[in-house]
Amino acid sequence: MWQRRAFLQAAGAGFAASLLPRQALALERSELVFASAVQTASGGYGAVLLGEAGELIASIALPDRGHDVTISREAGRGVVFARQPGTFAVVFDPAGRAAPVTLTSVTGRHFFGHGVFSPDGRLLYATESDFEAAQGVVGVYDASDGYRRIGEFPTYGTGPHEMLLMPDGVTLVVANGGIETHPDYGRAELNIDTMDPSVVFIDRRDGSLVGQLRLDAGLHQLSIRHMAIDGRSRVWFGCQFKGAPSDTPQLVGYASLDGAIELIELPADTLLDLRNYVGSVAASADGDSIAVSSPEGNLLVTIDVAARRPSLVQTLRSGCGLAADGTGFVASSGLGEMIGIAGNERPAQHYDFQFDNHLLRVS
Amino acid sequence: MRAILIAVMLSAGAVSAQAQPAAPQAVLHAAVANVIRPNVLQFDADARGLQSAMTALCAAPSAEAVEIADQQFALVVAAYGRIEFLRLGPVMEDNRADRMLFWPDRRSIGLKQVQAILTEEDPLATDPTSLESKSVAVQGLGALEYVLFGTGAESLSTADGAFRCAYGQAIAANIAAMAQDLVIGWYLPGGIADHLQDPQPANTDYRTGTETMEELVGLVSHGLEALRDKHLKPFMASETAAAKPKLAVFWRSDLTMTFVRANIEGMAELIEQSGVAHEVDAQYQGLANTIDFEFRNATRALDLITLPVAEAVEDDKQAAALGYLVLVTGSLQSIIGEQLSAALGLSVGFSALDGD
Repeated sequence: MWQRRAFLQAAGAGFAASLLPRQALALERSELVFASAVQTASGGYGAVLLGEAGELIASIALPDRGHDVTISREAGRGVVFARQPGTFAVVFDPAGRAAPVTLTSVTGRHFFGHGVFSPDGRLLYATESDFEAAQGVVGVYDASDGYRRIGEFPTYGTGPHEMLLMPDGVTLVVANGGIETHPDYGRAELNIDTMDPSVVFIDRRDGSLVGQLRLDAGLHQLSIRHMAIDGRSRVWFGCQFKGAPSDTPQLVGYASLDGAIELIELPADTLLDLRNYVGSVAASADGDSIAVSSPEGNLLVTIDVAARRPSLVQTLRSGCGLAADGTGFVASSGLGEMIGIAGNERPAQHYDFQFDNHLLRVS
Repeated sequence: MRAILIAVMLSAGAVSAQAQPAAPQAVLHAAVANVIRPNVLQFDADARGLQSAMTALCAAPSAEAVEIADQQFALVVAAYGRIEFLRLGPVMEDNRADRMLFWPDRRSIGLKQVQAILTEEDPLATDPTSLESKSVAVQGLGALEYVLFGTGAESLSTADGAFRCAYGQAIAANIAAMAQDLVIGWYLPGGIADHLQDPQPANTDYRTGTETMEELVGLVSHGLEALRDKHLKPFMASETAAAKPKLAVFWRSDLTMTFVRANIEGMAELIEQSGVAHEVDAQYQGLANTIDFEFRNATRALDLITLPVAEAVEDDKQAAALGYLVLVTGSLQSIIGEQLSAALGLSVGFSALDGD
């Protein structure tokens, strides 16, 4: 708790700083382009807001490690979620005009790192875990009422991770990683032998299950974690394999609302270099390309969605964060690097903080 | 609780100095030759001893034979405790880690399945081959502990416990077979031991010296985290909950702290014997002493915990020692996983640290 108190004291001092007009201006000019959770050079945790040129516009101190960030222009707010299993989510005003608000997970629930706003910005959906029942839930928060938690519905699986809103604006897609954890045992994975990952489509209006897709039974230890939606509304996903290290199953595939789910065939060399681990997935601005990253394999791969094969393979030490940019992708790393790839020729930059797993491009 | 946007506290553009990666070959050779292989061999020897003890017990049940089996079980628990954190290579194949010790068992799945086997006298559970194909929770150390120390274990000293003994014998055989698989895996020419000591670009596991050093440091860092999360914190009292000693691993056999001590000693041995903490530039040479100091602090805390866990958590001094163990293993994780890692010039970057 001392860290939290210290943070509040420090934050109180910082809030009056002269940065605020610059933030507001940046937002008005749409210069605010990227957001990411980070670890600071001193070992603390926060989130950063970056401009087009990679310049730091603002930072937010967090009481513990964050994970993904979502921003809604309609709501005028962003949210950074605690890393799973986490007890907080911080709602902030990217323009810096309003003080951030910290949401605390309700009794029996933990945040699981990801969330998304409704198209009108009035509702916030967060992946959470009902850890006693080992069931995933989507927590629903009313953005117009102080982010009061107004309900929840199931994710129809265990260990939900990334959640996206489909282009239809009403269907949520959730990656149920299939892995059970419980706060009594920290981050220990409790059901590796019996895990049951799936991709589920949920009607956000009533929480009803639209469809649930699973890979072949022999792939039940392939944890489906991160996703991006291509130009054909197909949900591309990246997996982390929890089985024998000597096995190297395919790790990238796609699912669709019409019930299809399949893994694509990445070349053996590329697959080996991913080290059974995909940490982030992003879709290009035109939806024709998908990028996946492996911080464990220090690898970035872009995939032509039509040809279903890699169009670029590039190394980046500890590279994980991925975001589409007009001319390609931007990637960030756990060593503080940010680079452009796949046609994005922005100069490489190095920061004195370390990027967490995800990089958000503010649309 | 609210957070507040603060002024820029992080500056862009700075390039932090990074240490040069250390020469890994000697470190990994020492780790394999002086620590990993000897400890795997010891586990194998103790597991075979346990198998023999169970065979003898089932052939001629007696209180003395039960005592010998119990003692051999304790040796195996201690031997496995020293290598539990080595989550690489053969133990990660064929679900061996879970088959060896299904823990934590939050829903008591293993307990219920073991009890069902004993109640129903399931014949498939007394044959090592068919046992291997059953649930991972009924074929390892946790299941054998229940057979030897759980409700009804007193029947083992007489013919009344014939089925229970046969099931225990099959488990012991299964554990011994897995121990042998570990030995084979660690001595296999061209296998993981060779790859760790001589990484090559063509390997599918370790291609560079940096990767092998990251693996070595990561094993200990993650092992310390797992020790806290799986073997200490679950049964200790918290600010909001009383102690739950039955959530301690091996509480029935009173081997909880034996196992915890073995965990710590195994990790300390790997750091010390491999010499990894000395493979740093001059300004970081103090890290080796710091790590050694903290491991000795952990050992001193262990020495204070003499009661069975159910009593230790109620004893102010011993409960405080348990609390200190949590703190000191957290400190060690930070020193090894962050400071030593950085001093070695390893790219155990933030986003690659432990997955999500």
